[in-house]
Amino acid sequence: MGKAIVITSGKGGVGKTTATANIGTGLAIMGNKVVVVDTDIGLRNLDVVMGLENRIVYDIVDVVEKTCRLKQGLIRDKRFDGLYLLPAAQTKDKTAVKPEQMLELIKELKEEGFDYIIIDSPAGIERGFQNSIAGADEAFIVTTPEISAVRDADRVIGLLESQGIHNPKLIVNRIRYDMVKRGDMMNVEDIIDILAIDLLGVVPDDEAIVISTNKGEPVVSEEDPLSAKAFRNICNRILGKEVEFLDLNNSEGKLSKLIKLLFSK
Amino acid sequence: MKEGLVNFKGVKEGIYIYIKEGDLEIIKKELEEKIQQYIELFKGTNFLGIKGENLTEYETKELLEIIREKYNLYVLKDGLPSYLEEDGPFDGIDEGKTKFINTTIRSGQVIEYDGNIVIIGDVNPGALIKAGGNIIILGIMRGVAHAGVGGNPDAIVAAYNLQPTQLRIGNIISRKPDGDISSSEIPEVARVKNGEVIIEPYLPKK
Repeated sequence: MGKAIVITSGKGGVGKTTATANIGTGLAIMGNKVVVVDTDIGLRNLDVVMGLENRIVYDIVDVVEKTCRLKQGLIRDKRFDGLYLLPAAQTKDKTAVKPEQMLELIKELKEEGFDYIIIDSPAGIERGFQNSIAGADEAFIVTTPEISAVRDADRVIGLLESQGIHNPKLIVNRIRYDMVKRGDMMNVEDIIDILAIDLLGVVPDDEAIVISTNKGEPVVSEEDPLSAKAFRNICNRILGKEVEFLDLNNSEGKLSKLIKLLFSK
Repeated sequence: MKEGLVNFKGVKEGIYIYIKEGDLEIIKKELEEKIQQYIELFKGTNFLGIKGENLTEYETKELLEIIREKYNLYVLKDGLPSYLEEDGPFDGIDEGKTKFINTTIRSGQVIEYDGNIVIIGDVNPGALIKAGGNIIILGIMRGVAHAGVGGNPDAIVAAYNLQPTQLRIGNIISRKPDGDISSSEIPEVARVKNGEVIIEPYLPKK
């Protein structure tokens, strides 16, 4: 039976859609049947980031309103075997879908045989967020190393706990170790001190993400970029493998050793 | 009428609803059932409002809204008669009822209790703890604590690591001084002295 994972954050612009696209693509490359679902109705982005916006005929609203069958709404990504997208609607808003409908949709997707259903949540804690978490088995919280993002992440973790989704995992995105070393940016330990959840992965700030997003080709499919390696590590950890955290310092600095020590489980 | 969480009480001024401590969703359900059953009781009498054993202001408002919308029942202007209102500030700060919570309190969460509160966990920024009595935090306090709600100026706020965004004791509000203060290595207690909130080590000689 498949697993439904919601990727959420509270704060906007921290990298939920990027994470959804890359984790979904990464897991598919590793041989799983994956669907990425965009619940940001009215402000859809996942299709653009995946490079699939020209292929959209039906969307999630059509599927839950039964205007079309689930199979018609799913877009098969021809570049990666086993990867599908269920796009959001652009011409409606978040009141077009109800949490009960999402529950049914997730159930149907599991019946379709997907190993992983990755749900891209919109920013905020209102209806869009409520829709995205309905039916989720697990949650990944994305945050950047900034106080405002961490504050929002904390709020969201509290909301998830009160709605029965426990032990969310943390993805720290866009970290810049040069700034951390100078003391100008929060480090991962500071974030975990406040959020107190398990760390799933750390993704460095990387130009390659900007480029790949604009091209519509998730960076995880590339060999070299550090962010691609970070996302591949995250995928491996999701699949249950133990992976050391990346040495994001160029030198074998004390910092990276400390991080490896702190978070090796 | 069988005893449940929701009970109707008649006094000479009218009828009020007394709500015992319990899960809000269960209370809402019971409220609906019972009002449905006993709606006739309220006709021709004054509805005085809701008195809850442990309801927050917000929850009380929510329930009154539901009653107003669904049954067109309005609270009499003066509300609950004064002898039913909470009587004075909680005075059990040396010995009194205490709520114990063993988890981290996250941003946006509110813990309210009209006695003392002990939290075994951290309190994150954006969280609010309101107690009629003392607030003791076995962890890092980074949120807002309001002790002595109701006007008790002798209540204290104590934590392993006291770094609140704001502290309120009784009716006095205070925030940490501007500029960098080194955080203490030992537990600290905040209390009111000479009309302002001061923070000192948990024992005088430490």
